[in-house]
Amino acid sequence: MDWLVSLPIVSDIVTLARPSLFNIYFAAASIPIGFVFAIGLALARASNNPIISRLSGAYIYAFRGSPLFIQLFMFYSIMLSLNLSVWKPAGWDWLVLHPLFLGPLVLVLNTSAYGAEIFYGALRNVPHQEIEAARAFGMGRFQQFRAVVWPNMIRLAWPAYTNEVVFLFHATALIYFTLPVINEQKDLMNKAGELFERDYNAFLHFSVAALYYLAISLVIFFCFGLIYKRLMRHMSDKTPRSIRFAPKYLR
Amino acid sequence: MPDWLTQLLGDDLSFGLSYITNGKHLAWYASFRFTIIAALAGALFALFFGLGGAALRQSRFAVLRSIGALYCNIVRGVPDVLFFLFFPLAFEQSVEWLMSTQACSAADLAANTGTWPPCTEANWFLGTSEYLALACVSLGIVYGAFTANVIHGAMQAVPKGQLEAARAFGMHPIQLLWRVHIRQMWIYALPGLSNVWMLLLKATSLLSLLQIADIVLWADRLGAPNYLKQVGLVHPDWRWRYYLVLFLFYILVTYLSERGFAVLRRKLGHGMIRVEG
Repeated sequence: MDWLVSLPIVSDIVTLARPSLFNIYFAAASIPIGFVFAIGLALARASNNPIISRLSGAYIYAFRGSPLFIQLFMFYSIMLSLNLSVWKPAGWDWLVLHPLFLGPLVLVLNTSAYGAEIFYGALRNVPHQEIEAARAFGMGRFQQFRAVVWPNMIRLAWPAYTNEVVFLFHATALIYFTLPVINEQKDLMNKAGELFERDYNAFLHFSVAALYYLAISLVIFFCFGLIYKRLMRHMSDKTPRSIRFAPKYLR
Repeated sequence: MPDWLTQLLGDDLSFGLSYITNGKHLAWYASFRFTIIAALAGALFALFFGLGGAALRQSRFAVLRSIGALYCNIVRGVPDVLFFLFFPLAFEQSVEWLMSTQACSAADLAANTGTWPPCTEANWFLGTSEYLALACVSLGIVYGAFTANVIHGAMQAVPKGQLEAARAFGMHPIQLLWRVHIRQMWIYALPGLSNVWMLLLKATSLLSLLQIADIVLWADRLGAPNYLKQVGLVHPDWRWRYYLVLFLFYILVTYLSERGFAVLRRKLGHGMIRVEG
């Protein structure tokens, strides 16, 4: 076994296993909250109240129209400048300025905008005949939403949302370029960079890091594909279209 | 600043005006050129790689087809920032390795214990302009993969009837490709291309990772707490203001490009009955 571990590629895979957990943590911490926020924003965007709809639209536009890199810098510096006046007196500075909190926070703000755009698009494409049928049955607004709009929206949005989740996972690579690295809390990019500075072997270290990103992306595609199959299980006459690894949608 | 302007604006405003036009700020404004160059040149490279990648994917030979598919999928399965850092490093090391085979003596190579480059003669120093060029190429490679996918899809979206009509007119396959297929493809590719352009635009904020003194790096420098011995604290940590400006700048550029693409789409779609969005 020793010869196997002494292979440079195997030792790199072992070394990068722990850093990859940081990327997974960032994604896992921000996806569920981002999902809820995205649904809320999409519903607000589709609201009949012009003020709510405009506000939500402006939020979505701003966060989709600017780079995550800048957003991370901006929120970190805002949090820093509020430190002395707000966080320190309240005793929250250890939490608010911690990258493991601030990173997912900015990711949630970012992904909820992208997700909201996807869900809003799906919401507008819900077949209106089905809503009319629900109304004809005498369903109330909430019942209509529960029975018709929600399931249709999720089904329509799921392939694009899968893509967004993979993009979000890729975006976790940016966090430690902007937020402070504390001790050994390093993600894949940090650790690959550190290994590179030790022996200047860019091809090996960055390829292994890329391999991790690729593998985890494939796992995400697979899991979300399983959920999609379950969502589409009533469409048994046609074989459910699995999500391809080369998706059509762009972020 | 002329006196009449000072009187017109009052002390506070004219101080503010002179502050945001001092040398450091002018250097910041000048550094926007890197972002603009990277976006435009990156887009050109992306178009080039995208056409190449789409051509590979359409190829008659299975080997070339799989190379094209591999390029598209691998590059898009990896974060753009990883490729953005990896490509310049890998290119630099490859050039240095080539140089080392020529410039280094055998004794140097034998004595070298794991440092890079193997000898000082093989060191290739990269300045801002070299890094900028490499950044443009790596942006092109990354977003070329996205572009290839868009163009590949658009080539399939061209109605078969148009191609059959061209063939019926006796066009040679190459004539058909250049005069009908590729020309008709653009209108179908445009929505996807505009998406890729937005992605590329946002990726230009990463230039500072390659030691280019771009807008992000200058914003960080200008906003950092400024302390001068003669005056004391000029300003506390103002970084969030500078980043806010960049945040708004990117939103503005996104807005302008959206408008630009809408105009382009109307112009290109002239005479088309309906174009799928």
